[in-house]
Amino acid sequence: MHEMTVRAEPVAGVGKLIARLKHAGSASGALMMLIVLCAVFAFSTENFLDGANLVNVAVQSTILLLLALPMTLIIMTEGLDLSMGAVLTLANVVLATVAVNTGGVSLALLAALGVGLAFGLVNGTLVSRLGIPPFVATLGTLGAAQGLALVVTDGQSVVGIPASVQMFYSGAFLGVPAPIWIAGIAYAAFHGVLYHTRFGANVFALGGNREALTLAGVRTRLYLVAVYVIGGLMAGLAALLLTARISSGHPTAALGMEFDAIAAVAVGGTSFEKGKGWLLGTLIGVLAVGVLRNGLNLMGVTSAVQVSAIGLLVILALMIDAFRGKQS
Amino acid sequence: MTIPHDPAAPATPRVPILELRGISKRFTGVQALDDVSFELHEGEVHMLLGENGAGKSTLMKVLCGAHTADAGEFFHRGEPVVIGGPADAQRLGIAVIFQEFTLVPYLSVAQNIFLGREPRGRLPGLVDHARMRREAQVIMDQLGMTLRPDTVVATLGVAQQQMVEIAKALSQQARIVVLDEPTAALSDNETEKLFAMIETLKRQGVAMVYISHRMAEVFSMGDRITVLRDGKKVGFRMPGETAPDELVSLMVGRKVDMSYSRTYCAAPGELALRLQGVSARSGIQDVSLEVRAGEIVGLAGLVGSGRTEVARAIFGADPIAAGRIEIFGRPQTGGPTQARRLGAALIPESRKAQGLALIRSVGENLVLASLPRLFPSGLFSPSKAAAQARELITRLRIATPGPDRRVGVLSGGNQQKVVIGKWLSAEAKLFIFDEPTRGIDVGAKAEIFSLIDALVRKGAAVLMISSELSEIVNVCDRTYVMREGRVAGELARDAMSEEAILTLGMHHA
Repeated sequence: MHEMTVRAEPVAGVGKLIARLKHAGSASGALMMLIVLCAVFAFSTENFLDGANLVNVAVQSTILLLLALPMTLIIMTEGLDLSMGAVLTLANVVLATVAVNTGGVSLALLAALGVGLAFGLVNGTLVSRLGIPPFVATLGTLGAAQGLALVVTDGQSVVGIPASVQMFYSGAFLGVPAPIWIAGIAYAAFHGVLYHTRFGANVFALGGNREALTLAGVRTRLYLVAVYVIGGLMAGLAALLLTARISSGHPTAALGMEFDAIAAVAVGGTSFEKGKGWLLGTLIGVLAVGVLRNGLNLMGVTSAVQVSAIGLLVILALMIDAFRGKQS
Repeated sequence: MTIPHDPAAPATPRVPILELRGISKRFTGVQALDDVSFELHEGEVHMLLGENGAGKSTLMKVLCGAHTADAGEFFHRGEPVVIGGPADAQRLGIAVIFQEFTLVPYLSVAQNIFLGREPRGRLPGLVDHARMRREAQVIMDQLGMTLRPDTVVATLGVAQQQMVEIAKALSQQARIVVLDEPTAALSDNETEKLFAMIETLKRQGVAMVYISHRMAEVFSMGDRITVLRDGKKVGFRMPGETAPDELVSLMVGRKVDMSYSRTYCAAPGELALRLQGVSARSGIQDVSLEVRAGEIVGLAGLVGSGRTEVARAIFGADPIAAGRIEIFGRPQTGGPTQARRLGAALIPESRKAQGLALIRSVGENLVLASLPRLFPSGLFSPSKAAAQARELITRLRIATPGPDRRVGVLSGGNQQKVVIGKWLSAEAKLFIFDEPTRGIDVGAKAEIFSLIDALVRKGAAVLMISSELSEIVNVCDRTYVMREGRVAGELARDAMSEEAILTLGMHHA
């Protein structure tokens, strides 16, 4: 096992984890928020701490994690992908339509991944080749994907999802829910890629010092495109879980989901400059957002108010980090 | 892994490791390099001197393949070669250590050293971290670096980052290293370490091009000296056969008088600025000083003695905890807006960060601080703004084709004039200059000082912070010397000398 400082390595003990959190500094805001949120909901609701509810929080957070993982890489390159929620929505309706017509999973999943790949390529090309600011480029593709989702479905829901799709959300393997397996494998894969491959080192460098990468003879544009393509593909994969979860394709299924993903990444301590990022922080951020939504649900707070609460969460987490940064 | 050493290298007659013949490079409207020839031998430190804009950076970029020369030839150990891109330069073993580092902040030292050339792991795409750390350690040991290869670069100081940068160059088998003002950001102690490292490299036969503005190191470290001016090579000297005066005159192309013309103030006017017992959390304590109209008052002291903090307190950029600040007899209790209203102007140390909007035009920058005065109704008139800008461009002799030119493309000296013009336009009467000549070449310095002299002769008051003691001694009517956040003493015109200032400003053991 390698011992890179500041890096989230496979955890070999709570002490080591705490030491890493301290070292990382910027993710400690996220962990504090998560602990405080759990404490608040444990006292203010009756069944937050029930085993079943905690599993529920984890399962519900899986789709968000699938988006937040690639979003972390994208933000580390000083980029942004606003189209992720809309691409997920489009992939959802496409996957649902194909699944209903073929009665199986494989073609439907391939179609969803194809949608993600296409939008990832467009986003990456706009950003890296044409130099369009990521905010604007992905705002454009957000509109395109959202519009297409409405066109494909004519504004209607796609129903009649086969059981073979539904089991990806409701099924279990070795007693662990299927979506947790998928999210867990995805997290492990991202960890491996970010910390143990040349690709990962280049992601740090894309945001940290692109000039250095160019001078080292690395084809920076290719890597930048790849980061957005990964984002699109992950949205396609997330569509499988989303379709299984809502048992339908719906043209506004993941409306605004990119907001939750960006919020989770920001809460997790990944910075919008200099390539400062931390995958474990994103996991904590995703759980914080998931716990907040779940707890507010239990308290009967509407979904609209939840969005405001997540916004507050982001601001609070960043304030904690800013305050700590000032102190040191 | 070892740094390769060619045992057969210094044969006679010595073949230069790199030779440039007749290199020219033209950018739109500027001949950046004009028929420059240059020889570099193994194990030598070749000093490269020149004013800002003399062509040093262009030459450096041609060497590392970032620019391609329009004309001229390169010879590597006598063989003709082409440098058409970074890959060519790397293959020839040329590495450039820029002032702006090419390090990735949130990667480790080892990862930075091997960026883009990571040792491969068992599977394609994987990195062999253990081997990378080991090899980084070997290089760092050779250079006498005490850093750990796992340390994240963002946590390092400037000097350490520079060492990582050098280690990175050596790991690429660099035999030719170009150092761009390597000591500019280093403390004395760190500079010594760097010099020791340079000596180590020399012994290993590495050839170095060393760009410097500091005469002392030119003579202590240089084996040979080349001077550029306006893109041309104007001199080649051995350190033993020349003197600083000669090099400076080669650089500027005319004999410069190192003292600046100044009409010293005979009868100071009204009280422009008064500080009484000012303390602030930023680190200044019990600071009292006065500046009168017609005076240039120096604020000397070591870096970190609190000079900039005094300026920021006066301008209301940092809150004060105790004491009283008066500008033209009226209390300054607010922020920068109030300071401006009272007639004060701060020309900060970092022009780019604090003083100018670089991507905006010269004209826009010039009127930026005087919008309320020029347009009291709130309605903007482009023609009136342009007229005001043109007047200032003429008056300050700012070298720009017109007010529409972007400030960012001007030279440091002209940028500084734009900042001064901005405040002249706002009708400021008290000017606080923080390092007014930083990054400005010798010729432009004299112009800036004659501008400041003209300001005070018209009745303005000036407080000038400077680390260049010769500037304080030559320019100021009197000076305050700071030490550890306090005013250590005041020197009148006839008591001022570099020695006197240093004695007051030094930390007492």
